[in-house]
Amino acid sequence: MTVTTRRRDVLALAALGMAAGAVRPAKAAAPSGQLTVGVHITLAPTWLDPAETAGIITPFMVLYALHDAVAKPMPQGNPSPSLAESWSAGEDGLSYEFVLRKGAKFHNGEPVTADDVKFSFERYRGAAHGLLKERVAAVETPDPQRVVFKLKNPWPDFITFYTVASGAGWVVPRKYVEKVGEDGFKKAPIGAGPYKFVSFTPGIELVMEAFDGYWRKTPSVKRIVMKVIPDESTRLAALKNGEVDIAYSIRAELAEELQRTPGLTLRPTVGSAPYYMYFPEQWDPKSPWHDQRVRLATKFALDYNTINKALTLGHSHITGSVIPENFEFYEKLAPPVYDPDKARQLLAEAGHPGGFDAGFYTCDAAYANLGEAVINYLGEVGIRAKLRPLERAAFFKGYADKKYKNIIQGASGAFGNAATRLEEFVVKGGNYAYGSYPEIDELFPLQAVELDRAKRAAILTKMQHLLDDRTMYVSIWQLAFISGVGPRLAESGFGLIKGFVYTAPYEDITLKSA
Amino acid sequence: MKQFVTRRLGYSLLSLLVLSLTIFFFVRVTGDPAALLVEPGASEDDIAAIHHKFGLDKPLWAQYGLFMMSLLRGDFGQSFYYQTPVLDLYFDRLPNSLLLALVAMAFSLAVGIPTGILAAVRVGRFWDSAGKLFALLGLSLPSFFVGLVLILLFSVYLGWLPSSGSGGVLHILMPAFALGWYFAAAHMRLTRSSMLEVLGSEYVKLARLKGLPQSWVIGKHAFKNALIPVVTLAGINLVLMINVAVVVETVFAWPGVGRLLYEGISFRDFPVVQGIVIMGGTMIVVVNLLVDVVYAVIDPRIRLEK
Repeated sequence: MTVTTRRRDVLALAALGMAAGAVRPAKAAAPSGQLTVGVHITLAPTWLDPAETAGIITPFMVLYALHDAVAKPMPQGNPSPSLAESWSAGEDGLSYEFVLRKGAKFHNGEPVTADDVKFSFERYRGAAHGLLKERVAAVETPDPQRVVFKLKNPWPDFITFYTVASGAGWVVPRKYVEKVGEDGFKKAPIGAGPYKFVSFTPGIELVMEAFDGYWRKTPSVKRIVMKVIPDESTRLAALKNGEVDIAYSIRAELAEELQRTPGLTLRPTVGSAPYYMYFPEQWDPKSPWHDQRVRLATKFALDYNTINKALTLGHSHITGSVIPENFEFYEKLAPPVYDPDKARQLLAEAGHPGGFDAGFYTCDAAYANLGEAVINYLGEVGIRAKLRPLERAAFFKGYADKKYKNIIQGASGAFGNAATRLEEFVVKGGNYAYGSYPEIDELFPLQAVELDRAKRAAILTKMQHLLDDRTMYVSIWQLAFISGVGPRLAESGFGLIKGFVYTAPYEDITLKSA
Repeated sequence: MKQFVTRRLGYSLLSLLVLSLTIFFFVRVTGDPAALLVEPGASEDDIAAIHHKFGLDKPLWAQYGLFMMSLLRGDFGQSFYYQTPVLDLYFDRLPNSLLLALVAMAFSLAVGIPTGILAAVRVGRFWDSAGKLFALLGLSLPSFFVGLVLILLFSVYLGWLPSSGSGGVLHILMPAFALGWYFAAAHMRLTRSSMLEVLGSEYVKLARLKGLPQSWVIGKHAFKNALIPVVTLAGINLVLMINVAVVVETVFAWPGVGRLLYEGISFRDFPVVQGIVIMGGTMIVVVNLLVDVVYAVIDPRIRLEK
């Protein structure tokens, strides 16, 4: 079988693959020591199996240890070649070929083959699996080192969805899964990642041990224990007491306490969740929000840096965009400026010299503290809003059902790229779009079929500028996730992978004593 | 007697049926579990797939029918979050909860009963006031606060005890104290009032008139009778400690049933919440049934009541 490929892509990616593989099997010292991680969220058995990956970031905390993917976000790039050393797209955009790395093997010693990649893709039933199955016509394995995905129609986002926005590209051993069955695999998973499974108590603890046959490098730390400690104060106490080396999610006052404690280090990481204000009535000529000057006034009303310092110790990013800065096709916009006089002037020009009653400011109750700060600043310039915090699921249901008025404080941490985010939140028909602007809408289908990356980037850049020009949204910040690190760690792994809020890659973590 | 037991058994089954109905519909009022299993902004298809997988796309009455049919077969369903049978999860956590509850109960009785007796014997004096203060603090200080203070003191400042988790004798001390503290106060109050009632009774006065020593009157005559309501309450409290020590188990990351309930509520894991509530309810109903039967054996007037 012959595959038409675009060779410049092959060369570029092969170079990246060589870079990723350059660290390979340098005969490092034998792994030693134990790393204990205090996890803030309940560990689920589904996280041990890439096929079950839901559309949330948390399972990747486990996947990066136990499993490996054809390609995945890594310090070298997002995505970066992993079990595949390179990939290439056909000229017609209808096929993608991956060349697997020689020497990559599973924890049971069996090599990773094209058949395993195909099996893992077909077995996948997590987030976006419907989309992938709908658009992929066939997966072919011309030889044990090559996998070819045939698409029904050109789909420029295939690589994003296969390697970044889902768990479909994470590979499990076919023979082993077929031998032990689905339940057996969840009880004793075997992967191709840097750590082997040792034991798991659902919701309580996961224990893993270094795999010395990992293709990228032998991990430095012998044993990793993930312990669930649901209470934030107890997590901090465990970190202070030396019971854990890493404590995830330590916020506000406790983060300040952590910062003051000698020997402990605060490690903020900025994920993929921008928070913003959205004005669902901006398309209603009778609403004050129809006037762009009113929307713009809210943008000048907020003292972004003060809010950031108060709530996330200044670690969130003020980007001015609703597209995460780590996303493909993200366009850097001018950051917002705090200018309350300008805000009042804009309101006066819009016919509201004394301000106006803005109604409800509806938000997810978990981030009501951000909402409180925002409405205080809005009130300072005369935009008098009432906070309406709703329980998370109820909030997003009402948001998607388009039930809210006045102001919505929204956020999204969903995977994807700038196009996928615009599709959901900006263009006509999007799940969270209450209205749209024709000049933005008409650009969206053009980028969706554009196979030339530079041309596609230009269209998406233009869309982001138009979005900003219309003040459709006012971005507040891209939220920082704050964790704490104990004194025994030399390299904690935080921040190595851009946009990933947990510690990874695990094989890069080192202890001081090791 | 047979009729009495049959009637009580009928009431117990009816109570469990009402409980199953209440918890089934109550958990569903809390919202859609799919929304907590995906990121905000997830596609409608992903959410619909989750609904289909867990049978949440069926009408409510059909879901309840399936739930009850499974329950009658002894199947409490599969956890949405853990994707594991609920009973497996429950019985994995139960030994930890039993251990914690027994130690906490032993502590609460060891503290509550002597202080209750002392307060009753020294009524209106210093020890009574001290006992009342202890009961006030025990009943009013929330266990999460007591837990955090203990962690700060014994883990962070003194470094004597581990802050969380399970595994050794040292791990259980703080959670057992935090859990037993409230119940010690409750047992103290009940022991005090029960002892006061018994100490004022005619047969205790007679014992005193006979010139028996004070310790003999209290220990042999008063205490035994005053203990009956305390033991009855302790039985019910033990069931509560096993199943709903949510706050203490969460603060100390203790791997018990209470923490499982917290996780079930947090993730809207309906089968887990339903399973724990029904198991806890069944335990309470069984304990009450046994108490009723024992009372009926002791006092024939009870079994003749309509």
